[in-house]
Amino acid sequence: MTDQVAQISYPSEERGLSTKHREWLAGYLFVLPDALGLFIFLGVPMVLSLVIGFFEVDGFGGYRFVGLANYQRMMRDPLFWQAARVTALYAILLVPLLFVCGLGLALLVQKSNRFNSVIRSMFFAPHVVSLVVVALVWQLMSVDKIGILSRLMSALGLPGVSLLGDPNLALLAVVAVSLWFLMGYYMLIFLGGLQDIPVQYYEAAEIDGAGPVQRFWYITLPLLKPTSFFVLMISMVAAVAGAQAFDIIYVMTKGGPANSTAVLIIYIYQQAFGFGAFGYAAAMASILVAALVLMTAILFLFTRGGRFEHA
Amino acid sequence: MNDSRTPTGKTAGVSRRSLLAGTAALAAGTVTGFPFINRMAVRAQDAPLKFWQFYAPGGQVASQVAWFEKTVADWNDSHAQKIELEYVPNSEYINGTKLATAFASGTGPDIFIISPGDFLRYYNGGVLHDLTPFISEEARADFPESVIANRMVDGKIYGIPMEVEPMAIYYSVKAFEEAGLNENDVPKTWEELLDVAQKLTTPERYGIVFETKPGYYQNFTWYPFMWQGGGEIQSEDGRSAFDSPATVQALKFWQDAINLGVAPRQVLGYGANDATANLGSGYCAMQNVGIWAISQLTNNAPDMPFGVFPLPTPPGGKYVTVGGGWAFVANARGRNPDAAGEFCAWALASMEQGSIDRVVNWCTEAKSDMPPRNSALEAGGDAFNRGVMGVFSQEIHPGTRAEPRVPPEVYKIISDAIQQTQLGGADPQATATAASQQLDAFLASYNGAPIL
Repeated sequence: MTDQVAQISYPSEERGLSTKHREWLAGYLFVLPDALGLFIFLGVPMVLSLVIGFFEVDGFGGYRFVGLANYQRMMRDPLFWQAARVTALYAILLVPLLFVCGLGLALLVQKSNRFNSVIRSMFFAPHVVSLVVVALVWQLMSVDKIGILSRLMSALGLPGVSLLGDPNLALLAVVAVSLWFLMGYYMLIFLGGLQDIPVQYYEAAEIDGAGPVQRFWYITLPLLKPTSFFVLMISMVAAVAGAQAFDIIYVMTKGGPANSTAVLIIYIYQQAFGFGAFGYAAAMASILVAALVLMTAILFLFTRGGRFEHA
Repeated sequence: MNDSRTPTGKTAGVSRRSLLAGTAALAAGTVTGFPFINRMAVRAQDAPLKFWQFYAPGGQVASQVAWFEKTVADWNDSHAQKIELEYVPNSEYINGTKLATAFASGTGPDIFIISPGDFLRYYNGGVLHDLTPFISEEARADFPESVIANRMVDGKIYGIPMEVEPMAIYYSVKAFEEAGLNENDVPKTWEELLDVAQKLTTPERYGIVFETKPGYYQNFTWYPFMWQGGGEIQSEDGRSAFDSPATVQALKFWQDAINLGVAPRQVLGYGANDATANLGSGYCAMQNVGIWAISQLTNNAPDMPFGVFPLPTPPGGKYVTVGGGWAFVANARGRNPDAAGEFCAWALASMEQGSIDRVVNWCTEAKSDMPPRNSALEAGGDAFNRGVMGVFSQEIHPGTRAEPRVPPEVYKIISDAIQQTQLGGADPQATATAASQQLDAFLASYNGAPIL
């Protein structure tokens, strides 16, 4: 074996390429298939979408350059602004709730034992179910009069409440279902973050007389900053453009009643595939992406990228 | 130790370099070759024409699957240009992305079916082939004006209707009996309808179901209530006619049904067009639904006796209902538009007995619909006059007005007005006025085919 290894000769001088360059080339070639996939299926469509936003597209192969007309239309389209408001409200409600519930659940099931393993699986279970199934089940449970939730509210002295049929409640109901679906996933992320915190810190704090609240406030929360930043960022993206934001709303309410749950991605879908206004939809999608990039940048600024303060 | 590396560090058999080169070549070949392979398939002129619809071969109703398969098989037996059915699930066909993306990329089906609600989008997009040359004068006259008009532009036919589906109110006989009502209590006015609905409402059941989900179907079911008071979407001078007492009255009627607690804010199943999930399950005692519900209830709730009556009318109003229904159309940008057009006419609009019988079979055996042709109504004879179908053909269908064809922008304005008043509690008059202003703004710049 030693002899064999000793005999290995890496032909670094072959064809004039140094070992370093050959490794560099090999690395990039290995990445190439994935990069090509990303470029073809993500990069190109994104650029095309941006370009299409400057065209009027009839949905039947007809394209007409209209410059900024789609963006001007957006500015004076009350339904676009209504959808933007609904999206903002959905995100404002969902992101903090996901953070609090995800972290709360992670703290509850932090200790590794058989019981907690079962509880963790139960909280994560909704995440492995199809979103359409989730939406259908909740829709059935909340149907007027005979749904289990409607019966429960009647028993609590709130008869006639329509969770998905009342514009004042429908968005809250959708947020609750989204929260139920997603919180197990965020619990797992927080669990990972919690397990990265050295146990010695807690032991030292306990010796110094710190109580559970102090330990959480002065050890857990500060050391979870990178995880918190990650959770805030991905939950914000999920709230604005996540699959659950589309699937759950599309199945449960179709954006109704009275557009009260019509978030931007529902409105974009409706314009593109319902009305064939692909140019207008692409322009709205571009604005949505720009808004997400801006919000992420702001989050980076405020949290300094989620880094430790003294790192 | 078994080391498979060669002295130069390569794995035995395949070197890293060859693996990478092979992968790169495969990727390049796939990426560059794909469009040509794809075009080869598209350009194959002798390939069967694709007929997209939501009935066969994967549909759930055997009689409908059989009808479509037999129709295509009969055509293929006697024509050189073959046709192949392609099933698209109903929800995907109506609300999904398949058709939209196919047409946007120039790969739409050669033959497909559309409802009046979609007609203008496809016609204005230039993909509907003129079917007039394939239809004889005699056959053209066989279609009543109210059925064919919304498939025509400038005297030319662009779609051949398969069926006419008028809307009515269905009721559960058992629920009526439980409330001490009988067929003599069937309501004839809106006021009576709300009154009867109140009597039928229980803690477990609603008196009546109207559609609550926003969409083309909700608009479709609401139009007759607007028409009954003399309301219209557009006036003869091309401006909006939406801000009228009749429109306000219709918006208020649906709102009243919600406010009185006799109609739900949510419906069961896949919507208020699903009679099994709503009336059949006992969720409601009456349901505003179309003629197709006869076969739904007969097949899926055979033990539930039900009746049907025409839509009640407002004070001083005139009875009218709306008739929907799908139509065969040919893609003008398909591979063989003439053959596709010829097929549509052969299947549904020929004076040959086979064509007439095909329409009769579709409307009586495969579905429960009114036929779009006078000859089929005659040929069907007793089938259209028995039981509930008899009520449709004698009392409901004579007041049928064709489903309006409107561009998506108009549909959306009306849909929002219905939703805001029905479920949002908005003032009907203010909503109608605002919607009318939006309609006028749109109509001023609209230059497609006439809205009917």
